[in-house]
Amino acid sequence: MTDTMPALPAGPRPRPRAQMVGTGFAVAAGSMMMAGALGLYMARRHASGPHPGHDWLDGAVVPNPQFDYALLTLGLSLVTAHWALWASRRGDRTHTWTAIATTLVLALGFFNMVMHSLNRMELELGSGEYANLAFATTGLALALAVVGALYLALMGLRSVGGSLGQDGSSPLGGAVFFWDFVAVAWTATWYAVYVVK
Amino acid sequence: MSETTTEATAEAGAPAEDATPLGWLNTADHKRIGRLFIVTSILFGVLGLVLDLLVRIDLTDGEAFVALDVDTFAQVFALSRETLVLLFLIPAFLGVACYVVPLQIGASNLAFPRAAAASYWGWLVSAGVLIGAYAGNGGPYGGWSDGVDLHLLALGGIVLSLLIGAVTIGTTVLTMRSPGLYLDRTPPFSWSAMVTASMLVISLPVLLGQLVLLYVDHRYGRVFLGGNQGIWRRIDWVHETPQLFIYVVPVLGAVAEIKLAASRRRVFEPLAVYFTLGLVGLFGFGAWANFSVTGEGVDIADGLEGIVLVALYGGALLGSTVLFGVLGFTLFQGRKGLKVTTPLIAATLAIVFVLAGAALGLVGAGSDWLELAGRGNDGNPYLRDTVFTSGVQSLLIYGAGVMGLIAALHWWGPKIWGRRLNEAGGFLTVLVAAVGALLATLGPVLSGLLTEQPDFVYFDPSMTSIWSAWVDSSGAPGFMAMGVAGAVITAVAVGLLLLNVIWSVLLGKGVEAGNDPWSAQTPEWLLASPPPMGDGALADLTSGTPLLDASEVADEEVTV
Repeated sequence: MTDTMPALPAGPRPRPRAQMVGTGFAVAAGSMMMAGALGLYMARRHASGPHPGHDWLDGAVVPNPQFDYALLTLGLSLVTAHWALWASRRGDRTHTWTAIATTLVLALGFFNMVMHSLNRMELELGSGEYANLAFATTGLALALAVVGALYLALMGLRSVGGSLGQDGSSPLGGAVFFWDFVAVAWTATWYAVYVVK
Repeated sequence: MSETTTEATAEAGAPAEDATPLGWLNTADHKRIGRLFIVTSILFGVLGLVLDLLVRIDLTDGEAFVALDVDTFAQVFALSRETLVLLFLIPAFLGVACYVVPLQIGASNLAFPRAAAASYWGWLVSAGVLIGAYAGNGGPYGGWSDGVDLHLLALGGIVLSLLIGAVTIGTTVLTMRSPGLYLDRTPPFSWSAMVTASMLVISLPVLLGQLVLLYVDHRYGRVFLGGNQGIWRRIDWVHETPQLFIYVVPVLGAVAEIKLAASRRRVFEPLAVYFTLGLVGLFGFGAWANFSVTGEGVDIADGLEGIVLVALYGGALLGSTVLFGVLGFTLFQGRKGLKVTTPLIAATLAIVFVLAGAALGLVGAGSDWLELAGRGNDGNPYLRDTVFTSGVQSLLIYGAGVMGLIAALHWWGPKIWGRRLNEAGGFLTVLVAAVGALLATLGPVLSGLLTEQPDFVYFDPSMTSIWSAWVDSSGAPGFMAMGVAGAVITAVAVGLLLLNVIWSVLLGKGVEAGNDPWSAQTPEWLLASPPPMGDGALADLTSGTPLLDASEVADEEVTV
């Protein structure tokens, strides 16, 4: 006769991490903020945008290659951010901090390239409708990017400080998720304001 | 034996509450943050009522200003709307949620308690700056240019702060529930708080994005704004229906709890309650697209805009009607043991006001839809361009909002302050508030329907009288006088509520409440009233109705 272990009842389902859910809410809010801003941009463009005899850009020339490089830099930073998360989940501290540092350097490069592109456009606030709308929408997207970079830096430090492994990487996962959103928000801004114009 | 273990876990060495001002300043306790939100928002509500009263007095005369002048009328109107919605209605229920939600789901605090505290203080400081901007003639119609910018910044600060609070509440419900307390067992109020938080998170940021664009344009050249008047038209959607339905979802959550407790029964279909609460919130979403995008001159196919509005109001009406029916039926089933209390009457009236608000909104939207279809045939203005809009607004803010707050404070007052609010005073408050809300609504609604009195949004400060372009104003003064009376009576009701709180709580005249003075169902009533700091968590909570579970088990044992 063999004793059999009675099956234990299943435990409660694990709760999602508060930080990840909070980041999800922040991403939803940020998405709607950008949607509202870009919606207003497009509505204004539709109402008084390009038509014969009216230069919507007020003489500005969009430096496409520079904006493309900025987007490419941001795209590369996504790869390194996910590299950091991958390494953090495996408990690899060296790879984690290397990837975080690379991501932050690429983020700085992105900011630099966008500022350089805006300088090349020689747009001035108040000079026209496009100028005001372009500065405001770009400023919003850059503000999100600054928040994302700071979030990434702080959670990266936490990971490097020992918050590693599958469970310990959750905060860094939230930061990387937000950085993904930053990339999407910037891509939407870039496409609406500097490609479609 | 009940599967629900409901012992409160007393943490050894729990920190004592620091009663000094510094203790309140740096608190991260959800109960204190909740109390701060509730009390401050009621005070702002009184301010909003007084401002609305001044506006209503001026609207009684189509030829001349009565209480204000041409410069201040527009400012006071805008401030009254912002105060009633952003400084009263949303934060009042955010405060109730901050206090009650963790207790209901077995959490010891909010998910991000410091963020919740930052939300309160950020909101309060921004509110001060907002009022300061208006005081310096800097509202949307202001003459002080920097003040107009300051107003936009302050508004941004308020919206951001409320968003942080909403994220905190939403995250708390989703992640801090006691293990085993699944989302479909969450008490209705916590569910409704999560619905509102989620809908705020995806609707208010639209305003934030627009505020940034408006700020940049106003500060630098005013290229597309066309002067200050362009500001209000673009941000007014946040104070109006259908967006207002999002803000009153917690009222419906509180109503559900109060009615179910009064019936002493389990609702026959719990999912219907969750579904309908979600439906009302969901159909409040989309207001921003309708009012903010179409306001930019985008071509929308004739009729489509009208259909969207009809659908939004129709959805809110469907949700509130089904909820009303489900709760009403449950109450009817439990009519034998029914005890009439202030919260029950207030809750019943609050849901009726929400229902009426949705029905009136549907009438307005339907009428405008027909008008759109026959555009140019008769030249009648759309109802949404008349004071009819203000009437529906009053129904949801004064009717559902104030009445819902009266219900919530009488219901959870014992848990918040340890004493029950005076019942006789409560009955009087409910009666006065109901009359006030009805008159405040009927005045503008009738004036909009019968005299087509134009809404304020189309006010032109260059006019010498308020509505010089208004053709036929006969009858309007009487209707608007009714609206004035309604605002005065509502102010009296809020005053009575405050007096009741002072009498019952501050002066200690209220009956000391035990853990569960209402024979309620939900988990917070297992805890002491009020729960001491650090002693709020319920271990192993697996049901949203532990007290009802326990009483049913006791009944079964007696039967056996």
